[in-house]
This record gives sequence, structure tokens and C-alpha cells, in this order.
Amino acid sequence: MTRTRRMLTLCTAMALCGWAAVGAAGAEEVTIGLATGQTGGLAPFDQPSLAGFRMAMDEINARGGLGGTYMVTLDIKDTRSDTGATVQAAQELVAAGVKFLITPCDADPSIAAGQISQAAQIPTMTFCGTTPTITDAVGDYMFGSYPADNGQATLLAQHAIAKGYKSAYILKSPDSAYTLRLPEYFAEVFQKLGGTVAGEGSYSLGQQDFAAEVTKIAALDPQPDVIMTAAYEPDFPAFLKALRGAGVTAPILGSDGIDSPTTTGLGDIANGIVHTTAGFPTDGSPLGEFYAKYEAVTGAAPETVYVATGYEIPYILDAAVTAAGTMDGPALRDALANLENVPVLTGSVTYKGTNRMPLRAITLVEIQGGARVPVETATPDPALVPAP
Amino acid sequence: MLEIEGLSVRYGAVEAVGNLGFTVPKGSITVLLGANGAGKSSTLNAISGLAPSRGRIALNGAELGGLPPEEIVRRGVALCPEGRRVFPSLSVADNLHLGGAVHAKGEELARRTEAELDRFPILRERYHQKAGLLSGGEQQMLAVARALMSAPRLLLLDEPSLGLAPKVVEQVFGLISGLRTQGITILLVEQNAERALEIADHGYVLQSGALVLSGSGRELAESPLIRDAYLAG
Amino acid sequence: MDFFLQQLLNAVSLGGIYALLALGLAVVFSIVALINFAHGELMTVAGYVLFVCILYAVPLPIAVVAAIAAAAVAAAATERLAFRPMRRADPTSLMLTSFAVSAILKVLFQNGISARPKPVPLPPDLSGTLTFGPVRLGTVPLASILVTCLSLFALTLFLKRTVMGKAMRAAAEDFQVLRLMGIRANRVIAAAFALSGMLAGISAALWVAQRGSVDPLMGFVPVLKAFVASVIGGLGSLSGAVAGGFALGIAEVLFQAYLPDAALPFRDAFVLGFVVLLLLWRPDGLIPARTGRRS
Ligand SMILES: Nc1ncnc2c1ncn2[C@@H]1O[C@H](COP(=O)(O)OP(=O)(O)O)[C@@H](O)[C@H]1O
Ligand SMILES: [Mg+2]
Repeated sequence: MTRTRRMLTLCTAMALCGWAAVGAAGAEEVTIGLATGQTGGLAPFDQPSLAGFRMAMDEINARGGLGGTYMVTLDIKDTRSDTGATVQAAQELVAAGVKFLITPCDADPSIAAGQISQAAQIPTMTFCGTTPTITDAVGDYMFGSYPADNGQATLLAQHAIAKGYKSAYILKSPDSAYTLRLPEYFAEVFQKLGGTVAGEGSYSLGQQDFAAEVTKIAALDPQPDVIMTAAYEPDFPAFLKALRGAGVTAPILGSDGIDSPTTTGLGDIANGIVHTTAGFPTDGSPLGEFYAKYEAVTGAAPETVYVATGYEIPYILDAAVTAAGTMDGPALRDALANLENVPVLTGSVTYKGTNRMPLRAITLVEIQGGARVPVETATPDPALVPAP
Repeated sequence: MLEIEGLSVRYGAVEAVGNLGFTVPKGSITVLLGANGAGKSSTLNAISGLAPSRGRIALNGAELGGLPPEEIVRRGVALCPEGRRVFPSLSVADNLHLGGAVHAKGEELARRTEAELDRFPILRERYHQKAGLLSGGEQQMLAVARALMSAPRLLLLDEPSLGLAPKVVEQVFGLISGLRTQGITILLVEQNAERALEIADHGYVLQSGALVLSGSGRELAESPLIRDAYLAG
Repeated sequence: MDFFLQQLLNAVSLGGIYALLALGLAVVFSIVALINFAHGELMTVAGYVLFVCILYAVPLPIAVVAAIAAAAVAAAATERLAFRPMRRADPTSLMLTSFAVSAILKVLFQNGISARPKPVPLPPDLSGTLTFGPVRLGTVPLASILVTCLSLFALTLFLKRTVMGKAMRAAAEDFQVLRLMGIRANRVIAAAFALSGMLAGISAALWVAQRGSVDPLMGFVPVLKAFVASVIGGLGSLSGAVAGGFALGIAEVLFQAYLPDAALPFRDAFVLGFVVLLLLWRPDGLIPARTGRRS
């Protein structure tokens, strides 16, 4: 009995001390909501993004919270990659009073969830949604964080022209904005810079069978100088195998969707592919150091760059909270929208002067001998980037 | 050989057989008569383990109730089901071989197949044909032969003469009498009461799942109930 | 003409994979009236086994055999754990059970292995091309055609020559009578699932060879194709499944090859329209199953 009482006293004292310590630093508790697909079709993107996000949030909490003031609790909801469930999760999180909302790596659920947080004046960011129309479809509280499709396409088109390619064949799928619009943005910039489009092909997501399509490409006369597509797994490897099997040798330009070990595992047929990525870790670069740190903490290197881009978000937010001095919706929105050159792992991020899809560097890499070799890193020229 | 007491068969709310009791003496032909829907097939299916039942079903004193059909055939009870139900896309040979699947040894299977082909020479002619291409009478022969392949001590026959030409019906009844002489006990369900009672040692009459009459084959053949109901004219 | 020949070859190669997939569904459906939507996840299991084997430099033939065996074991395990307790349930509940099994397996893959695709790099000599006169064929499509033919041949032998194979055909026609012959229902059903798993494993090897990776959701598209193919062919009919698989493969390739560019994005709609027409013409499928009486 006495012992229990003594324990209780001790605990109370410790709790009070803790309280006092926090109070002394003037910390405030806030909650950030995440409505993302931790299972289902978006999990390959949302899971690694969340892993990076949590790591950064823990670091920021450990050093005193966002803007040195706000200690963050995460309220994480799995949407099972279902848009309806994302809306429901967003409603619950908004009702619970979150100060910031994260939505999945996809346009549809992000827009649906964003419309709820927009009405509640809660700044919202998509994990790695790349469709440049996401932000305008929602409103001034909606932000992107990842290099947008039109930016990637611009860099690819500039690269194609620099390589001297005159004609391009584009392969697109109407099944998603990414696989449809990215090649179209590419064609727009490529033509603006003097290139011509030699043909267009179409495929269904997940169809995996490209024999009919590549037979048509092989029959093109003259052959295109380059083939551009935003196809990714499982379609891209199947397309590449079929294409090379049909005897087509034109070089290939791809997007960040093929930034995956599968691509480097394709062997010799992958040699010469150039594709975009949000960032490439080189020794000593901030991204390279992050990869090393992540491996030291978790025991395994990141499987994808989405871990890094997820990690960057709390630091972008931290910069905005520091500038605003508050996490109140309108002030935070304005601070985010005015951010300029915030240093992140993969370069810097700027929202000022954009439609809240960030202006940020994109890296081009080339596959050689089963490895990725960086080609160049550049921020797309806003004057060339097609309107979303 | 077979003793049945207090047997009832229910399909959901429908009671097909209620509190039925009868016996099948060893070496006999026992016939079960009754109108359509009286519960005859349900009784045979219950004995074979296909229909869920309550009550006592004993073969030479050993309880069969609750055993799955796969086990019951191993105890020596074979059912030749109503409507023949041969496997139409399988050959006659395959139908027979499946019928003898309880025999572990290949030579036993071959011996039994030979025996059945001797008994039914027409099946030897049709040996490699698909069972579905056989005539109704041939299919019935095949169904009986298939049931015999497991070397049963008790053979349950469910309306073997149904839908057959009169000449073939004669053949079937001749065959059944022949089986008894080989020591196989037979429980026969028939609509053709006249012919069935001629070869039967004992008979039972079912009505709405209950026993209404029993006696020797001759007694039943002469009973007014049977005369009115089945032996019109 | 060469273009047409080439496309025909493409169609046969694709149709063969669809045929194997549809057969996997049909083998089980013919016996227990279950449309097993977890069939795709059996493929995923095989895919992950391939991934692990190749990661540890296991020779490819052994890796493929291990993958097929794993899918067969996984199929038998789902039967034992999920479907056997539901044996007396109606077809709708069975189908819902298979959806549940599929969903559970996907989450297990996503959280237990990785949500990200795992690369399955094939030996470089498998990415070659063979030229036959005017037509060219990649090693993998060629392997698809050969493996499909071989599998169909072996399956036919199994179904026609072995007791278990005959029992499975008989079970499809009249399961109750088969039990009357003393053949144990549980064994036939378990064997049907294992066979279906083997077919899933074989198709998975071909499917993964095409895509070069395995991911938790990999099974979705193939099971959908298998379902469409087996409906075209006649649900539960084995020869129907093969016919349906080829019909679907040929339709997909020919529409892709000959639709005008403007209509290409709607290729899948054309294919499904073609499927609807086929079903209007033959509502029970190209080669309907002989349904056994289960009275
Ligand atoms: N599987 C079944 N499910 C429901 N009711 C059945 C089933 N089989 C038979 N019955 C019903 O049980 C009763 C007896 O049928 P049955 O045993 O087939 O009669 P019989 O063979 O004497 O014609 C009938 O009313 C029939 O409708
Ligand atoms: Mg009857």
C-alpha cells in the first residue's frame, strides 16, 4: 500500500516536471492527419512516403517541434487506396481538428480529400501526386510536393532535342492522368522545340502484352529517332522486352515511374534508357547522406526515392511554420505559398510564383550495365513548362 | 443383414421420411414400393450416406449412420442411383474403373472388370465409347455394373427399370434375380410393382415417408391396396 | 501479310497464357462451383518464390519448379483453411470467401514483403529473339507457346489416364455418384486445388518473365482475364477454358493491331463488346460444361 502510494507520488512528480519542461519551452500540441493508401494500389507509393515522413517528423519533434513550437502527433489512417475511404478519413481528420493534412500519391483521392480540407481552411499536401492539375482543382489550400508531370516532360523534351532527336513516337495509356498526360506534355514541348511526333500508341494499364503494339512500331518507316512513354511496372518492362524482341532499336525516354530496381534488373536491353527521377543519391550529397542514415536507422536502404520525398515534406512544412509563426490555416497557407528556395534533400523547393505545384530540380539518369548513371539535374524552365 | 429403425430424413423444413423401420434379410430381394415422392430414394440415399438422416441404420449389427458415402461403400453397400447417372463424358471403361476404385490392387480391379464384362457382354462391345453415347438400357447396365465393381454384399437399386423399353425391363429383372443367386443381397426400389413383387422375397410400401404395408412378395401382390394403387386392371 | 502472320503469332502466344489461366479457374469451378478470385494471388506466391530463388542464384529450372510447387501448396492450403469449412455454402458465399482470401493475401504481401515491386531479373539469354522467315519471336513468347502446348498435353494425359484425373472429370459431372464409388471427396477437391495452383504457378512464371517483377497486386489483371476467358468458353468446362483463352487473346491482339489510332484508347471496350456478342450468340459459352445432376 505505502509502496504503491510512493510510486504514485513519484509518477505524479515526474509528470509535473515533464509538463513544466514542455511548458517552459512554450510547446504546443498539434495533430497532423494522414489519409493515405497504406494498403491497396497506392501502397507502393504511399508506404515509402509515410516511412520517410515519420522519420522526419520524429527528428523535428526531437528538436522542439515545427517552428520550434509545435509538437506534432500523427493521426494516420489507411484509405486502402479507395477514394471513398479517403474522403471518409479526411472528414474524420478534419473533424478531429488536424492542422495539416496529407493525401495520397494520386490525383483523384487527393482532390476529393482536398475539397474537404479546403472548406475547413486546413493546408493540405499530396504525398507524391504528380498531376499538375491537383492544386487548381481544389483551391488555395492544396499543395503538391513532388516534381509535376509537366516539369518532368519538359526536361525530357529538352534532353531529346539536345541529343539531336528529330522525331518521337509516344506511347500512352488513357487509364491514368500520369500515363496519358505526361507523354502529351512531352509531345507539346518537343514540337515547340522543333521536333515532330512520328506516331502514337496506346495500351491498357497492367495489360503486359505489347506484341501487337511493337509489331506496329517495327513496321514504321522511317523508324522514329526516340520512343517516349510514361509506362511503368509491369507495363514498361513488358513493353521494352517486346520492343527489343521485335527488332526496334530506337532509344527510350521514360518518366520517374520506372525509377525502380526492376528497370535496372532488365539486363542489356535496358542500356541507354534515360528517365527522370525526383533525385539521385550520390556520395556526399544530402540525398546520399540521407540514404546512408536511413539504412543505419532501419537496417535497409530506401527501396525508392519516395522515402526521401516523404521525408522532405515535414521540413518544407517546418520552414512555413517558422515563417508564419503559427499553424493557423490561412497564415500557414500564405507562408507555404510564399516559400522560396527551401533546401531539401534533392535540391530546393519553391512555391512562390507557382500554382502550388513546386518548382524543384529533377534529375535525369541513364541505365548502363544494370546501374543508374546521373545525366543531369536541372529545374525545368517555367517558360517552357506546358500549362496543366 | 440390414436393420433400419426410426429412420427420418429431412431436407430443411420438408420431412421426406419419418420414423421408418424395416429389415433386409441376408440373401433376399427386398422391394420398397411407393408413389412418386413417397421417400423411397431418400431412404436409399440415407443408407448410402448421401442424405442426412437420423435413426439407426445397421449393417450386420454395425452402425452405418453418420459415415460418409466413401466409407459406406467400403463396408460393402453399393447404390445404383435413380436415373442411372453414369459419367457421360467418360468411357465405359473409365466408368467401370471408377466403380472399382475401392480396390487397392490393380489385379483385383482387372479381375472385377472382366467379370462385369462377362456379365454384360454389350459393355465389352462399347468398352471405349463415351457412356453418354450409350442407349438408355445400355446406360442402366453400365450403372449396375459400375455399382457391382466395388464387390458389394448389399446392392441398393433405385428404379432400375425407369424409362426402359419392355424388352430391356425384362432383361433387368432377370439380371436382378441372377444377382441373388450369386449371394448378393438386394434392396430394390421400383415403380413397376408387378414385376418387382414377382421376384421379391419381401416388400414394404411407403406413403408420405411412412410405412403403410409390409409382407412377402406374394402377400403384397394380392393385397387390395397394391392392386388398386399399382396393378391397375 | 507478314504483319498479319506476326500478329497471329502474337495472338497465339497471348491466348496460350490466358488459356492456362482460365484452366486454373475452370478446374476448381467444375468441381466445387467456386470462382476462385484468389487464383491471382497464387500466381503472386509463385512470383515471390521466383524472386527469392533468383536473388539467391538458384538455377532457373529449379526456381521455376519451386515456384510451381509453392503455388500448388498455397492452393491446397487455402482450400484446407478457407474453402473446406465453407463446403456446404452456396456459390455466392464461396465466391465472397475467395475475395476475402485474395484481399488477406494481398495485405500480407504488402505488409510482410513489400508494397514495392520486387525485381525478378531473368538470365540475359532469355531476352533473345528468333527469326522464322518473315516473323520474329522473342524467347519468352516462344516459351509461352511451348509451355502452353506442353501443359495442355500433360493435363490431358493426367485427366485421361490417371485415376485421380478421371475422378476429377467425373466429379465435375456428378460429385455425389463419385463419392458412392468410394472416392474421397476431400482428396479430389484438394487435388483439384493443387492442380489449379500448379497451373497458376506455370502461368505466373510466363507472366513474370514478361514483366520482370513481382508485386503484391500482380494477380489482379490475370485473374480478371482468366474470368472473362472462362465465361467466354463456358464456366467450368475445361476445353471451354482453353477455347475462351485463345478467343480472348486473339481478340485483344487483333483489335490492338487493326483498330484505327483514334479508336485505340477504347480497345478494351471493343474487346468487351466482342465478348458480349459472343455471349449473345452462345449464352453458355463456346463449349458449355456438362453440368452434373446434384439431386
Ligand atoms: N434434395 C432434396 N431437397 C429437398 N427435398 C427433397 C430432396 N430430395 C427429395 N426431396 C423431397 O422429399 C420427398 C421424397 O422424395 P424422394 O425420396 O425422392 O421420393 P421417391 O424416391 O419416393 O419418389 C419429396 O417430397 C421430395 O420433393
Ligand atoms: Mg425416387
